[in-house]
Amino acid sequence: MNIELSELTRRFGRTYAVAGVSMEAGPGVFGLLGPNGAGKTSLLRMMATVLPPTSGRLRLLGRDPGSPGPRREIRRRLGYLPQNLGYYPGFTVVEFVEYFALLKDMPPGRVPRAVAAAVEQVGLGDKAKAKLRTLSGGMLRRAGIAQAIVNDPDLLLLDEPTAGLDPEQRVAFRAILRGLGERATVVVSTHLVEDVGAACSQVALMDAGKVVFDGTPGELIARGEGSGAAGDAPLERGYSAVLAAARSVPATRPAAGIQPGPENRA
Amino acid sequence: MTDEGVNWEAIFFRDGANGTEPDGLGLSPPDVDLTRVWTGVAAEVWRRRPGPAERLAARALRSPGLARALVTTPSLLLGWVIATLLVLAAGAAATLGTGTPYVALLAPAVAGAGIAYAYGPGIDPAWELSQSTAVSDRMVLLVRALAVFGLNAAVGLAASGVSGLSGVSGSAATVTFGWLVPMTAVCALALAAATVSRSANVGVAAGMSGWVITVLAGQADGGRLTAAITDSSLFLPYLAFAACCGAVAWFATRIPRGTS
Repeated sequence: MNIELSELTRRFGRTYAVAGVSMEAGPGVFGLLGPNGAGKTSLLRMMATVLPPTSGRLRLLGRDPGSPGPRREIRRRLGYLPQNLGYYPGFTVVEFVEYFALLKDMPPGRVPRAVAAAVEQVGLGDKAKAKLRTLSGGMLRRAGIAQAIVNDPDLLLLDEPTAGLDPEQRVAFRAILRGLGERATVVVSTHLVEDVGAACSQVALMDAGKVVFDGTPGELIARGEGSGAAGDAPLERGYSAVLAAARSVPATRPAAGIQPGPENRA
Repeated sequence: MTDEGVNWEAIFFRDGANGTEPDGLGLSPPDVDLTRVWTGVAAEVWRRRPGPAERLAARALRSPGLARALVTTPSLLLGWVIATLLVLAAGAAATLGTGTPYVALLAPAVAGAGIAYAYGPGIDPAWELSQSTAVSDRMVLLVRALAVFGLNAAVGLAASGVSGLSGVSGSAATVTFGWLVPMTAVCALALAAATVSRSANVGVAAGMSGWVITVLAGQADGGRLTAAITDSSLFLPYLAFAACCGAVAWFATRIPRGTS
């Protein structure tokens, strides 16, 4: 398993952003769905080794990121696209991607070819030498995706990767995701259920810091059938039905309703 | 198949990330993977040539990533360096004109600001992204801070030398080098404040206000503006304070252990 989480929590003051999540994921594309404030970004940041957990057990690529040596090894094999991607306005696309390739400890001899491949893969070849400050939001997002995949990661974490992409780019991006998921574990946090339906083999739905559904997109669709839940598409109805069911359960203390129970596990 | 030093065969038929060698019999056109060919060409065309400073840093640090991070330090970029030179040149001119060692009084504040702006959230646009990479952000911070300190010390010493220090109260050696000790303390304070608060502006404010208070307190106590840099009894407290601030910065940039 590339991701092993057990009773993972993250607290900011008295607020639980992640309230005891347990999950495992091997190769494949894993969708993380949920409303705003559900805890998706905090969970992703912990998996990116940027945010330490408050409690619980986290193992990535078979290693404990709490120790410096294993953490460095994880980071070499990690690709991460944060929700708010910062960029250097004076860098070109190639310089930006190359910068992170070097920070990921890639052998310098491999970097130019890996950078070219990543830039081409996200369709920014014609903007390779353009300064980042001249690019549109969608192009910057693609530059961010290019830096995430430049090291051919075994664990790829993408927070709202399709935000700002036009429909054509989103379709192309889903194809990239499916290709990467054949070998690596790809975790995609998104609001867009159609991205999950098109690209993900597994999906978890988070609400109030907890995983309230864990299954396949087909199983999420099945939850919505005949439920009368709101939504234009089958996946949206499943999403609404699971959320409505989770919210109808009386609140328990944060660490209690952690792992998806048998009633929520598809 | 080489032409004018360019091995086109190597570019066109070199294999990708898996490192496998192409079959020698597979070089006929139908077997050419155009995507791979184009990637090879693009890699050659887009390849960035590191400058001499970056190449030297890569050799010294034994890490191309760390070297690249070093040469992109905000407070080592040309505009910042020119501003530093101008401030200290003005200080040297003022020293020559008045006899007051303005270079020695300005250098710690200028260096402290440079250190605060070396690395961190709000300063480094892709700071969060950098935190998830194999090259430790703590190491990046250390290398950048040392480089900024070294540059400011060198520029300050040059400015001190140019100003000649004629007519300055205190021994020439103390005035020329004495400010390096308080500069260390001011830089450490700025670094600690910037890392704890995660704000370069707070770091600059802490460093500058700390130094101004120290200078004014010296003047109020002994009637001399230069007391903060010439009073050798202050050197040990400066160094102790710098060590404490360094420890605070080290603690603030740690990643807690025990995630499991």
